[in-house]
Amino acid sequence: MSRKRSDEEQALAHLVGELRELPPPELDWDRVEARLMNEPRPASGSVAPGFFGRLRLPAAALVAVATGVFLFAARHKPSPVAQSKATARIQNGPINGDALAVGTHVTAGNRNVVVEHVGRARWTLDPHATASVVDAAEFLTVRLEDGALSASVVPKPKPETFAVEVGGTRVAVHGTAFRVERVGDRIEVEVTEGTVAVEPIGTHSDPSFLLRRGSRGSFGLDGRTGSVEGNASVVMRDSGPKSHREIARSVAASPSHALATATPPASSAMSAPSADGALNPQPPSAAQPTPALPEQPSISDIEAGVSSAVELLNRCFRDKTQSTGVSVSVSTGMTLSIAGDGTVQSVTFGPPLAPAVEDCGVAGLRNLTFAHSLEGATFTRILELKR
Amino acid sequence: MAELSELIERCKTGDGLAFREVFRAHRADVARLVQRMTGRPADLEDIVQEVFLQVYRSIKDFRGQSRFSTWLYRVTVNVVLMQRRAARSRPVTHEAPDDAFGPDLRELPDDQVARARRVAAFYRLLDRLSDKKRAVFVLHELEGLSPSEIAKVVSAPVLTVRTRLFYARRELLTLLREEPSLAVVARELVHEVDAEAALSETEST
Repeated sequence: MSRKRSDEEQALAHLVGELRELPPPELDWDRVEARLMNEPRPASGSVAPGFFGRLRLPAAALVAVATGVFLFAARHKPSPVAQSKATARIQNGPINGDALAVGTHVTAGNRNVVVEHVGRARWTLDPHATASVVDAAEFLTVRLEDGALSASVVPKPKPETFAVEVGGTRVAVHGTAFRVERVGDRIEVEVTEGTVAVEPIGTHSDPSFLLRRGSRGSFGLDGRTGSVEGNASVVMRDSGPKSHREIARSVAASPSHALATATPPASSAMSAPSADGALNPQPPSAAQPTPALPEQPSISDIEAGVSSAVELLNRCFRDKTQSTGVSVSVSTGMTLSIAGDGTVQSVTFGPPLAPAVEDCGVAGLRNLTFAHSLEGATFTRILELKR
Repeated sequence: MAELSELIERCKTGDGLAFREVFRAHRADVARLVQRMTGRPADLEDIVQEVFLQVYRSIKDFRGQSRFSTWLYRVTVNVVLMQRRAARSRPVTHEAPDDAFGPDLRELPDDQVARARRVAAFYRLLDRLSDKKRAVFVLHELEGLSPSEIAKVVSAPVLTVRTRLFYARRELLTLLREEPSLAVVARELVHEVDAEAALSETEST
């Protein structure tokens, strides 16, 4: 590496160090606390500037895009915390979901409300339904509190990018379009495209039910009990850690998911098993379930393979570079593409390594195998090679 | 003070006193992170307040699956990003002067003036990173979170976090090289470090 690069790295480290040493900002904490805890609520329609004005921001941003319905930008329990009474009469058209802060409640009036997260998902609240944004990051999650919600999700390589929570139940989208309705203590789910997993909240990626296109189900608020109709299946967990299998009670299970199938009734009503697998397991059928491959290798599988790759490349770096008695280290990003059968399809280094080191590394990586999966994976790992 | 878990449960029932305690215990951490993610904007106080408002609204959704501090980081990062997005959509009426984020430089000794200018310059540099890269860089380099902790905060795989970190560092190094004012800063810093090293070597001999 050149002296210039080294200078910049030193400068960056120094600047980071200076920022770390800065004391926390001194704010007028009494004023902030007073505003949070004691400020009187504004009279309806006469929201004062400042704090309450800021509370109206999410709603104000929506004024231009939708009408005919009311959006409550901040609807929560009575509390000592200042409340927003902000409502906005908004125009037709989708609301920009990316402008809604986590915790924002959306309530439809007499018409549907459409919320769009551009490039990710669009969800539509039925009239008088209420939902709130629980997570606006990569796992977009909406909590349905009342009424019905239909969602259309842009397909992504990741298995789940959008979820609706109702009570203790999580309805996670594997595919594209579905509808969720809360009816008292029941949740009705109908899938029009793709696949939807129904599971208790907190058991991410460990579903109790899988519903596919054209199927529907009625579930309890615990995410474990329910009945399904059509192209759907119930998932049973083994007692072993992390394993689960889908019992052969599904109705015309999708072959692409490699699910075990049996001759099922036109509809099935059953309880999904609890975590210990004790609750109402279906009798084993003649067709033993086949464990389905994951779409991609798990992070732990990848990490295990990457550890081997790092060892290998460090060895190559030590063996293929000249020793001058000086400690040398290089940093590079290694991008590996893994096929479904676990073999390494391609590897690139950016910035590139010395040709001899790369040749040695590529030759060794050809022999590396990862866990099998349906789609394989491509990932980048930053390597620090030292000699 | 009561145990944090107890306070959180009380907050979920709308207990204002419990919320006040949570606010007092964590306000400095939140303010520090907001400052690091934004520079020191004029509305720092408003953003911190918005963070705690979101905490109040959303605390019923905190299920204890991660540490409260991780969840709080997450809320803070989301609020900051929301504020930045909103700010970008508003018309810019003026550019803040270089020294807008720091103390009154006229009252400081020269070395502190230089340091304040460097900090302001570095905030401008951080501001040129994308939101995702800046968040990861700040959480790792300034807040000291591990990639796995950051993964929980930003809801991304650990590998993605590491990748963002790599590219954030690389972009910052490029910016240091390409940005004239910051290149000067880099040279000054290196010379300063070299001079200090030479001085301490001389003194030790």
